[in-house]
Amino acid sequence: MVWRIGIDIGGTFTDVALVDEASGRIGVAKLLTTPHDFGEAVVEGIRQGLAAERIDPAEVALLSHATTVVTNALLEQKGARAGFVSTRGFRDLLELRRSSRVDLYDLFQDGPSVLVPRRWRYEITERIDAQGEVVTPLAGDEIPALVEAIRRDGLQTVGVSFLFSFLNDAHERRVGEALRRALPDVGIFLSCEVLPEIREFERASTTAVCAYVGPLLAGYLDRLQRAVSALGLPSLHVMGSSGGVLDIAEALRMPAAVVESGPAAGVVAAAVVGRQIGVPNLISFDMGGTTAKASLIAGGEVAVTAEYEVGGAGSANRWLHGTGHPIRVPVIDLAEVSAGGGSIAWVDPGGALKVGPHSAGADPGPAAYGRGGTRPTVTDANVVLGYLDRDFLLGGDLRIDLPAAETAIATVGEPLGLGVAETAARIIEIVNANMAQALRIVSIERGHDPQEFSLIAFGGAGPVHAAFLAAELLVPEVIVPPAPGAFSALGLVATDLRRDYSRTLYADLATLAPERLAEAVAGMEREGLAMLAAAGVPEQRRDLLRLADVRYRRQAYELTVAIPPGAITRDSIDAVAAAFHDKHEQTYGHANHEEAVQLVNLRLTALGRLPGMTLVQRTEASAARIKQRNVWFSEYGFIACPAYWRDGLTAGTRLDGPAIVEAMDSTAVLPPGWTAAVDEQGYIRMRRN
Amino acid sequence: MPDTQPFRLRTDPARFEVVKNALYAAAEEMKIVLAKTAYSPLLKVAGDYSCGIFDRAGNMVAQGPDLPIHLGSMPDAVRAVVQAFPEVLPGDVFIHNDPYQGGSHLPDVNVVAPAFLDDRLLGFGCVRAHWPDIGSATPGSYGAVTEIYGEGLRLPPVRLYRGGKPEPGIEAIIFANVRTPSERLGDLRAQVAACWRAGQRMAALARKYGADELLGIMDEVLDYSETMMRAALATLPDGEASFEDILDGDGVLAPGAAEDETFRIKLRIAKRGDTITADFAGSDPQVPGPMNAPLTVTASGVFCALKMIADPHSLIPPNSGCWRPVQVLAPEGSVVNARLPAPVVYANHEISHRVAEMVMAAMARITPSTVMAGSQGTSAIMTFGGVDYRTGERYVSYESVKGGFGARPTKDGINGVASTVTNMSNTPIEMIEMSFPVRVEEYALLPDTGGAGTWRGGLGVRRVWRVLEQDSHAAVCCERTVTPPFGLAGGLAGAPARLMLELPDGSSRKLVSKGGFIAPTGSRVVMEAPGSGGYGPPSGRDRAQLAEDVRDGYVTEASAQRDYGT
Repeated sequence: MVWRIGIDIGGTFTDVALVDEASGRIGVAKLLTTPHDFGEAVVEGIRQGLAAERIDPAEVALLSHATTVVTNALLEQKGARAGFVSTRGFRDLLELRRSSRVDLYDLFQDGPSVLVPRRWRYEITERIDAQGEVVTPLAGDEIPALVEAIRRDGLQTVGVSFLFSFLNDAHERRVGEALRRALPDVGIFLSCEVLPEIREFERASTTAVCAYVGPLLAGYLDRLQRAVSALGLPSLHVMGSSGGVLDIAEALRMPAAVVESGPAAGVVAAAVVGRQIGVPNLISFDMGGTTAKASLIAGGEVAVTAEYEVGGAGSANRWLHGTGHPIRVPVIDLAEVSAGGGSIAWVDPGGALKVGPHSAGADPGPAAYGRGGTRPTVTDANVVLGYLDRDFLLGGDLRIDLPAAETAIATVGEPLGLGVAETAARIIEIVNANMAQALRIVSIERGHDPQEFSLIAFGGAGPVHAAFLAAELLVPEVIVPPAPGAFSALGLVATDLRRDYSRTLYADLATLAPERLAEAVAGMEREGLAMLAAAGVPEQRRDLLRLADVRYRRQAYELTVAIPPGAITRDSIDAVAAAFHDKHEQTYGHANHEEAVQLVNLRLTALGRLPGMTLVQRTEASAARIKQRNVWFSEYGFIACPAYWRDGLTAGTRLDGPAIVEAMDSTAVLPPGWTAAVDEQGYIRMRRN
Repeated sequence: MPDTQPFRLRTDPARFEVVKNALYAAAEEMKIVLAKTAYSPLLKVAGDYSCGIFDRAGNMVAQGPDLPIHLGSMPDAVRAVVQAFPEVLPGDVFIHNDPYQGGSHLPDVNVVAPAFLDDRLLGFGCVRAHWPDIGSATPGSYGAVTEIYGEGLRLPPVRLYRGGKPEPGIEAIIFANVRTPSERLGDLRAQVAACWRAGQRMAALARKYGADELLGIMDEVLDYSETMMRAALATLPDGEASFEDILDGDGVLAPGAAEDETFRIKLRIAKRGDTITADFAGSDPQVPGPMNAPLTVTASGVFCALKMIADPHSLIPPNSGCWRPVQVLAPEGSVVNARLPAPVVYANHEISHRVAEMVMAAMARITPSTVMAGSQGTSAIMTFGGVDYRTGERYVSYESVKGGFGARPTKDGINGVASTVTNMSNTPIEMIEMSFPVRVEEYALLPDTGGAGTWRGGLGVRRVWRVLEQDSHAAVCCERTVTPPFGLAGGLAGAPARLMLELPDGSSRKLVSKGGFIAPTGSRVVMEAPGSGGYGPPSGRDRAQLAEDVRDGYVTEASAQRDYGT
């Protein structure tokens, strides 16, 4: 047999998923993450998984993992001693940012820390102008002093970003070559290699993020690779933020590409599952202990964005509030809200009931877990209302303290003059509304009608809330996939090899010579194919996707559309313009066909396709179990409701709501007025009547 | 915040929270539509605009995460439309920019569109956006004129769209009077699209919860913010305090004078229980040049500072309800309550900036732990205009340079970031140079410009432009070149602003802080935006922190010895 292994290293748990390529059979191991050495939980999880499924390491064909190392290094400010070299007069670019503050009225706010302290920001005399021409030649005689300063300051890495290097990279490359020659042990990141795109701060920031996290990522990947090699496993891949895996060499060349590794894996898993069951339009909904994330898959394609900030206060607001470090690399377009099982409910002085953003986390956790938590959480409300079992969770491993949950809920109910159940119902109503906002951002705000989509729910808490959210947004169907509690790890085994390239090419489409575009695209395609060859991808599995960022000439933000495959002609350029007008109309409600359309960036995605496979939820009739409990639904109050054990729900089973479906890793709620069917592969398909 | 004994809402607390959040989300969504579709760099990348959701009477129910400077006057701008057009229909869109009818200054153009569920009026969406040019003799409309008639095109509330279609006559008048009209058309379309997005979202809420329920909650959102604001004010000590400050001038030099004449604003704050009064009695009469603020602009400065002081962690939703406990008094015909036809263009940001700082300084005597020292106190505007030698097309460039954000009672100030009433972004240098025939030669922090203190003030910023190939019709609008941003509790003042024109022959001259000038080909225009004041005596500065500042070059050795006595 041939197996693939995916490992999702999260903040609390490390999930290991093992999948048999031929049958789609899934094995899962879940362990507490070991932050002092992530490899410990990884190795132990793999060992358990291999043993449980009786797998010989030689049978493993693919090993991919998702990591939060890069994000954590930025959040905890534990990156490298990194320097930054700029054009003379612009050493403070990274600190001046875009000059706006994070919050309008918060007197005690601070901006994000700057990755490179001012003492390690160097300048060199040179200048390129807006036409790409040299105004001030590079002062080569300043380079020896620069080398000496970097050596004296003992830096591990240096980012180099000059003005207009995206038009003319000669100066940047000359400095880069000189530094690499003189300082072979210092990692040198050039903005023209990392991100040859317009906007000096965003380009410098992306380059600085690479320099800041590069050494840490290298050390981490090296240790982890050695640990898995010792088990006889193949070389390690890393999940990239745009929804594909990279080999280690590529990840180290572009560390900023692996920031949103874990969340991306879940969305990719949703896309894979959608293809498998023939549902191309999906809203993915991932709810854990502290946050909920939504993303959109339209026509089988995962939505990506090039506007992202890493290491900030989270993306609860879709407007970039400047809390983090911008990176202009493709990242799966996620809307994230601070809403999870641990989110705490409270009453503000104006009398409004609030849920979150504070979370009880894993420690002390919800009051219902009996570990000392006293503040009411979403999980406590779910227990009180009967959505979650009132005695045990995790298949009996976790004992539930119902009186503690009720006491906690009463602390907010009393000042509002509400009983415990009424209060719990309102907590759920609010957290659902907060999460619906994330779903709305990725769908309605982007011009997509939720009625044309299915909601795929995962994460430990996702299937508990999914049907209520679907009702709110008029989504007709909810899909509960296999192993929802370890679903992101599943995405890792089904992900293609992927690397994204971009470069700025300013031109009006109407007058752009096809040869000029063809030449630029060909150059990027050569780079992509070389990467795929180096990664050992066989020719028949190599794929190149070309995209263009375009806008009306005087706009500042682009929309990304496809460039048709094949030879580049006037027709293919016109097709790009037509696709842009359509997308502008769909996204913003108006288009202007008379206005000149301008090409800004070219993008190329190089893919090494994996052979397809089918993910299956294992079920057997002998595992069937059924219990009864009272569950609260807004139209009825508490009503009697059956609770089924998922492992016993075999293909063809039909359920009418109200019903609860429980499993080791997750619980699904089927409200009244909904029906569920279990399909051939064990997926639960819930529909509103 | 304590979560016992709260105020009881009329609406179900969960329903209230859900609908309130949806209204604020809609205001934020308007912002995104505007930024992503507008044409001028000032809107699309610098963010000089505000979006809001308003009730049928014109009260602001939800403000987007935009500019505090518009807090006070946007409701009046919508009210002016309500009064001028008692009967509004689906598909109507209105426009106006009259500072004497709730506008702020002529470049700030308000677009207002009603929201309906079927035929029932629910309220309005309004986008106020700063156009880089609104006519007048000076590209960018920042000339030092002496009547509002010289400041550009003044539009009273007029109907811009009927039945969802533009009224051609109105648009023709507008585009005949502004520079770069095709760019303005793109901006205007973006404003209309953003207002319509507000209408769609309000209609969807009314459909879902019922129009009565939505309207009831919109009322209650105002009451809720009022309740929260009163509770916050009640926790502050009662007291009275005054503060008086000197402004650089109005840009109109008296005959024969070499320097602009300064003028004064006086403020007396009285805080009692859950209410507060800001009285500007004794402030100077209105001045000849455009440093005269309509009362609503003055009020914006007061509201912004009070929101930061009373709600320092920003928990109260900003809307018209917040300001019910606040009274703003100012003598008519003064610099803080202008009378027609006084010109106003600079006052919009310069007076509101200063008023916000003055409220901080006065309140420092009442509640010293939730104020900050003087920030940059100016929008530090530089405009360039003319013909781009590369394309032969007209251009107008408008930039605002950010200096220091004041030191706080427990923290340093912030270097080079927007403060108080404004929150515009800079425009990327690479976009400036691709769009306009100037080259930015320097953009960096200025050492020693943060006022010394136990908590150091934020650093000011130096930006230098070189004018390329053709003379440029430039204009500047800056404050704090005379009186520097104040320190508090023994902290020293920040460095004042500096403005220079360096000519190709090597000579240079100081620029007057406001007004138009010709910047010849090859000249360099230098703007140094002010640093901010420090908080607490410099002797209280942690010595290790001071050493770090010196290592990083935020503070020089010389200043460490002079100002901190090391």
